Amino acid sequence: MMRRVAWLLLPALALAFLLLGSGMDFSYVIPKRLVRLGAIVVAGVCIALSSVIFQTLAGNRVLTPAIMGYEGIYLLFQALLVLWLGTASVALLGAQGNALLSIALMLGYSWLLQRWLLREGRGDVYRLLLLGLVLTMVLGTFTQFIQLKTSPGEFSILQSLGYTSFNRAQPAQVLYSGLLVAAVALLVARGTRVLDVLALGRDQAIALGLDHGRCLRLQMALIAVLVAVSTSLVGPTAFMGVFVANIAYALARSAQHQVILPLACAVAIGMFLLAQLLVEHLFNYRTSVSILVNLVCGAYFLALMVRTRGTP
Amino acid sequence: MSRVLLPTLLLLLCGVSLMVGASQMSWSALWSASDDAWLTLTASRLPRLAALVLTGVGLSICGVILQQIVRNRFVEPATCGGLDAAKLGILVALTVLPGAGASGRMLFALVFCLLASLVYVAIIRRIRFTNLVLVPVIGLMYGSLLSAIAEFYAYRHNILQSMQGWLLGDFSRVIEGNYEIIYLILPIVVLTYLYAQRFTVLGMGEGMATSLGLNYAATAILGLVLVAVTVSATVITVGATPFVGLVVPNLVALRYGENLKRTLPIVAMCGAALLLACDILGRLLIHPYEVPIGLTAGSVGGVLFLLLILWKCK
Amino acid sequence: MITLEHLYKAYGEKTVLDNVSLAFPAGQVTSLIGPNGAGKSTLLMCIARLLPANRGRILLDGQDIGRIAIADYARRVATLRQVLDFNLRLTVEELVAFGRFPYSRGLLTADDQQVIDESLDFLGLQPLRGAYLDELSGGQRQMAFLAMTIAQRTDLLLLDEPLNNLDMKHAVQIMQAIRRLCDEQGRTVILVVHDINFAANYSDHIVAMKGGAVHSHGPIAEVVTQANLRALFGLAFEILPSAHGFVCNYFNPSLSRELV
Repeated sequence: MMRRVAWLLLPALALAFLLLGSGMDFSYVIPKRLVRLGAIVVAGVCIALSSVIFQTLAGNRVLTPAIMGYEGIYLLFQALLVLWLGTASVALLGAQGNALLSIALMLGYSWLLQRWLLREGRGDVYRLLLLGLVLTMVLGTFTQFIQLKTSPGEFSILQSLGYTSFNRAQPAQVLYSGLLVAAVALLVARGTRVLDVLALGRDQAIALGLDHGRCLRLQMALIAVLVAVSTSLVGPTAFMGVFVANIAYALARSAQHQVILPLACAVAIGMFLLAQLLVEHLFNYRTSVSILVNLVCGAYFLALMVRTRGTP
Repeated sequence: MSRVLLPTLLLLLCGVSLMVGASQMSWSALWSASDDAWLTLTASRLPRLAALVLTGVGLSICGVILQQIVRNRFVEPATCGGLDAAKLGILVALTVLPGAGASGRMLFALVFCLLASLVYVAIIRRIRFTNLVLVPVIGLMYGSLLSAIAEFYAYRHNILQSMQGWLLGDFSRVIEGNYEIIYLILPIVVLTYLYAQRFTVLGMGEGMATSLGLNYAATAILGLVLVAVTVSATVITVGATPFVGLVVPNLVALRYGENLKRTLPIVAMCGAALLLACDILGRLLIHPYEVPIGLTAGSVGGVLFLLLILWKCK
Repeated sequence: MITLEHLYKAYGEKTVLDNVSLAFPAGQVTSLIGPNGAGKSTLLMCIARLLPANRGRILLDGQDIGRIAIADYARRVATLRQVLDFNLRLTVEELVAFGRFPYSRGLLTADDQQVIDESLDFLGLQPLRGAYLDELSGGQRQMAFLAMTIAQRTDLLLLDEPLNNLDMKHAVQIMQAIRRLCDEQGRTVILVVHDINFAANYSDHIVAMKGGAVHSHGPIAEVVTQANLRALFGLAFEILPSAHGFVCNYFNPSLSRELV
């Protein structure tokens, strides 16, 4: 029943986002909003899929790619690009070139993490979490340091990259990202059964005849692509992945990824829409989506940590 | 490091710190009593040196006290929400009492830091776990939450941009007439040294402390007050300097143990030395501009922290 | 020495200590025995002032312990609990030195140093005095903690399951030390112990608890009987006297069959 409500709520929110306060201006306002809606949908799907799959692979409900440093590395990379190539880098590479490079970088990081996950097994979750949090902080300071050496114009570009915002995405970017993510989502949809088995753990998966190493590598590669797309479209989202994943588990009440994954996407998109609506109409732009999402998801994560009391 | 080596190293670093800077200054200029050189020395270099040493000493001692109260190696102002609470306090002070001077803002920072630390300690005590790593994780999350609240607040009052700038640790702000509040750290250091044994006993846990005749609650609260004063003094004068209080006590404990009576002076000196080294590095890297200490200490400290986690939790 | 008057403690609905009135004799070793959940540790913690009782009084030499200052109490009563999460990096000598904290608050005098040396000698820990605690075995660490409690020079020692997780040799060493503390220095020791044999062979007095109340108490010969132990633990015991004391055997399957 809850699920039906969730699914009905989503289009309602989308319509509200598109039409509220727009004055039915179909020539300018609404197309702009459509682009933003597209960015929201694509990013939401990316965050939801990457978080749930990562948690399945890692075997716990606390870690997500964002926390494990993916976003930190992405931002550092962008800062380095700007440092080496200047604002010309944007023109030189073009948005596509930048995106491809970023995806390559994320894939590399995925490979590194996956080697560790394979070696550690399920390991000490909280140690990984602490490592991820501190790594993100350290990468943040490196990024800030690089920002120091850039010119003011470049600096403001980098600054804006560090916040969640739906206004940055260009229509072409949204389109290409959407196509890419659709392809990934299709791959994921075909392999939900594999994910269910992976959730049982490495030993159990191998005992059931699954090539654990290969599956892990594939899934981590998909995660890398998803994170690269979402961070380049809307910026870093920190703890939103944890929030979305856990709410999806609670709503789904089933361990099947077939059920959980679409629900997670719905939750993520719904949350973005809600945040944007609140910012526009309740807070009158006196706050930003980034801040709202940080507040809510950060508080949720803290409560989750306190409640689990050290038992993953 | 023998009893002689560490103080010598410290004095050396102090000397280098005085010499390095944006404006050229040489010993010959000083000897010839040139006005410019003396002005640079007294108005900028010496206050900066004092602030550096006191901040290094103060923050590492804060780390030690917090680690004894929470009984966890990885706790310090940045990983227990104290630093972020102090920032929030300053923000609130700016908007609520815009006319208040440094002392007014420090008072706000102090109160926020103390309250946040009390809440943190209460949370940790209610949950019984021996997991070394979960405690700082909760602290970091708690700190991010406070940071998010601070951002929310700053955005509403349109001071978000400036908040980013001046809340990051930066010693270039320290000039004569603007930094004296940091001398508050001196009595705190003395008091902590006098109470070193008590804080070690505190670290043995409530049961043992009570058995040995220590009033656990009173000592813990005293410790938190000392920490709050130090953190707020440093944040007001210099800005946020993370990880010093975590890395230094841990490294010292590896070599010298944790009998505070013996190791507190070593911790203090190492803290000052680390901060001096980071500051000199920051001033030399992009000379004549400088990298704020918040970044150098954050990077160096952060990397050391990562290594500690990897090594400690085998 | 310690007198309990109508001690009552409950956690919500659950009663842990039910109207316990008892007197512990001075200058003797008393063991608290009984099944799990009987309230032995809770009782000890109440005497140690680590847990407040809901009702009732505890008197130390006639004085209500609630009225004694924390520092004073530490000079008369020392407590040692199970130390599971102690991770301070201290040497054995530094740890034992903390036993003098109630007296010197950290500034060690020559007298303190002498007491520390004597405590280390008492347990044979001199060769280990410079070793860090995390480098020692479980048994050696427990001895170090006992040395710290001894250095506190109190008349009364409270020990909560001091033999847990110890190998046989160290368990015997600890019990021997406790016996010598009482015989040579006239101290009173109250300890919670699970092993009925150690309790029977090393104590003067036994208090048996069950379900939050005192089941039986008195000298060894009175409490350690087949009938009494069977009523207390629900196990069949075979009590075998020998030249060196006696052994309570509850291990044999034929004994277990007796119960059926």
